[in-house]
Amino acid sequence: MAIIVNLDVMMAKRKISAGDLAEKIGITPANLSILKNNKAKAIRFSTLEEICRVLECQPGDVLEYADGR
Amino acid sequence: MWNPKKSVQLSLICTKIVILMVVACAAALPSLIDRYAEYALVPVETSSMYMFMVILYLCCIPAMAALVCLHMLLGNIKNEKVFTAANVKLLRIISWCCFAASLVLAFAVRYYLVFGMMSVAIAFVGLILRVVKNVIEQAVVIKAENDYTI
Repeated sequence: MAIIVNLDVMMAKRKISAGDLAEKIGITPANLSILKNNKAKAIRFSTLEEICRVLECQPGDVLEYADGR
Repeated sequence: MWNPKKSVQLSLICTKIVILMVVACAAALPSLIDRYAEYALVPVETSSMYMFMVILYLCCIPAMAALVCLHMLLGNIKNEKVFTAANVKLLRIISWCCFAASLVLAFAVRYYLVFGMMSVAIAFVGLILRVVKNVIEQAVVIKAENDYTI
């Protein structure tokens, strides 16, 4: 997958646990795990919006494009 | 009230009844063929009756395989596992069973003309099942895509 989710980095910066983040975003811990482990096929704008709101960051801080990876 | 669960249950019961009927017919086939020879309008040769029996027994194999697969498929649907790769595989097997039975009956046209019509009808059912399998196959992909959209 060329798009990489760097949620771990932002979570470490904001010192927030996976369980807390899942609760604040309004998704299940299982879905957050799928997102964190780059298993997700797509992300809804609403989810991305919530992630950015909770982690106080921009979409570019959690998503990265890597060529040929 | 009638609901999808009851519908699946009814299909399961029907499948079990058909399985029992196929087993019973296979067990009673020699005597059924004797009866047929007895009441046939045209005198039937013993050798062609023997072939008739072999053909019907050969048809029992794909029929039983298809019925067992159908039973497993309905079991999966009952357990709310509808759009899965396992169900696609089962539908593919059932479709091939139809084509196998159709092929056996196509070879048997020389013994009994009605087998030709049955062969075409079964091949048509096989074709429909194949299209259904293709649809379910695509649905599995769409479901996976949907499941992994967070």
